Amino acid sequence: MKKFVNDPAQFVPEFMQGIADANPDLLSFTPEFQMITRKSGPSNSKVSVVQGSGSGHEPAHVMAVGPGLLTGACQGAVFAAPPVDACYETIKACASDAGTLVLVNNYQGDRMSWDMACEMAEAEGIKLKQFIINDDVAVKDSTWTVGRRGVAGNFFVIKCCGAAAEAGQDLDAVYAIADKVNNNVRTMGVALTSCIPPAKGTPIFDIGDDEMEVGVGIHGEPGRRREKITNADAIADELFDAVAQDIPFNSGDRVAIMVNGLGGTPITELYVLYARVHDRAEKAGYKIVRNYVGEYCTSLEMAGASVTILRLDDELEKLLAAPAESAARIF
Amino acid sequence: MAEISQGTIEQAIQTTAETVLRNELYFCDLDGLAGDGDFGNSLATGFRAIKNEWDGIDKSNIGAMLLKISMIVSKNVGGSSGPIWGTGFMKAAMLTRGKRAVTLPELTDMVGAAIEGIQARGGAQRGDKTLLDALLPIHETLQKHCEAGDTDLGAALKDCAEAADKAVDETRNLVAHRGRASQVGERSANTPDPGIVAIATILQDWCKHHGVERTPTAPEVAKATA
Repeated sequence: MKKFVNDPAQFVPEFMQGIADANPDLLSFTPEFQMITRKSGPSNSKVSVVQGSGSGHEPAHVMAVGPGLLTGACQGAVFAAPPVDACYETIKACASDAGTLVLVNNYQGDRMSWDMACEMAEAEGIKLKQFIINDDVAVKDSTWTVGRRGVAGNFFVIKCCGAAAEAGQDLDAVYAIADKVNNNVRTMGVALTSCIPPAKGTPIFDIGDDEMEVGVGIHGEPGRRREKITNADAIADELFDAVAQDIPFNSGDRVAIMVNGLGGTPITELYVLYARVHDRAEKAGYKIVRNYVGEYCTSLEMAGASVTILRLDDELEKLLAAPAESAARIF
Repeated sequence: MAEISQGTIEQAIQTTAETVLRNELYFCDLDGLAGDGDFGNSLATGFRAIKNEWDGIDKSNIGAMLLKISMIVSKNVGGSSGPIWGTGFMKAAMLTRGKRAVTLPELTDMVGAAIEGIQARGGAQRGDKTLLDALLPIHETLQKHCEAGDTDLGAALKDCAEAADKAVDETRNLVAHRGRASQVGERSANTPDPGIVAIATILQDWCKHHGVERTPTAPEVAKATA
């Protein structure tokens, strides 16, 4: 293992400290709960939006904290759900009179922690709603979930809900937007290599030099199948087709397209994939309104990528275009 | 009506920690017969954390204390046992916010709420060979005591320990339908569920601590309390 790591057990708090140090005007860091919140705190006139999941997916989720995005987020260990107390404290730290929307990606560990934290917070009179994100088309159930996984489409849910909250919409309205985005967004990914969680020290799965895992999960969990690696266009086609046929998307749809790197793939290769996806989308008659090429939801140093398509309407288009600021600085 | 003080509940939690830590290996052995063999270790990790953090736990009232214990258990007990046991403590905590003592009917309601929470979290039903098969008869036993107006804690504990012991024996031959043991199907028959044994053992130790004389009937409970 060749990594920039001190004590593997301190990897998560140390990178979080770095994020906080690099963004002193924007973020506050609470090491005890591995929690990052907006420096400005919650506003009682605006809905708060919070999230938390395992580490290793940065910039999701703590780097998506900032005006127009999340109000606060907490991290578990690498690829492990945040503990209940961290979730509970994040809800408390972000509590607003306008209410809090808790965005949870569909993994069993995350759901149990957030379910408990939400029940505890509600018993204390905190107004909240919980929404489950599940945009992955690759598999119905995985080793980490019951039902579809939440993956890169999460970014669009955060962006639209964050913008709606910033605009002063109420809790029911922000929840309805989460539901609309989740119903209109689909993702599928492919892995070319495995990744090494620092505390584990070895790859989480074995994959041959000439193989790829199609439909991989963001924790390296198995996807649809293992096959011999083909070329970029063939891989882009496979991901595009799986995503496009799922809802399905139709000719004339206005869409946002994301080509997301899983951590170990250079941006150039992501643009090679994007060129093909762009071409396929245009030929299918979609109108590409916005595109996102870069790292939004990663899996440590895994080489690989995912393709996400979101169907837009006027409301979502406006929310995506609204200003936002985060430690990721990728807008 | 006789009241159960916060001190009695604190004592019960400390006794539970002793029970669980003493049986760390034995509960693993029992789990290894049909499950993945980590139950004793998972549970012990949680209660070791309770012991270590004991002095710092907010004990201003029963609810605050149980809420903190719920979080420690959820965080430190591994696998699905963490959120399941943690939920039990959380539901009991919600009924005891601000309280410094509870009556037997209130204790009965705490157990009932814990059962509801555990069922909602894990989806298990009676007969699935989980700890619910011990908790449900315990709750019914407590209800009978309340209905009869018998509020003596010692007498209730004795009957509850009796009911839990019976649950160990009655579920021994069932096939597990939940958790890791459900994946081995028929192989889970003839082996007691370690969660049910743990509850029965904890009850037996509570009896002993409360000065209630009784001899366990299930051999596993006898072994775990020897």
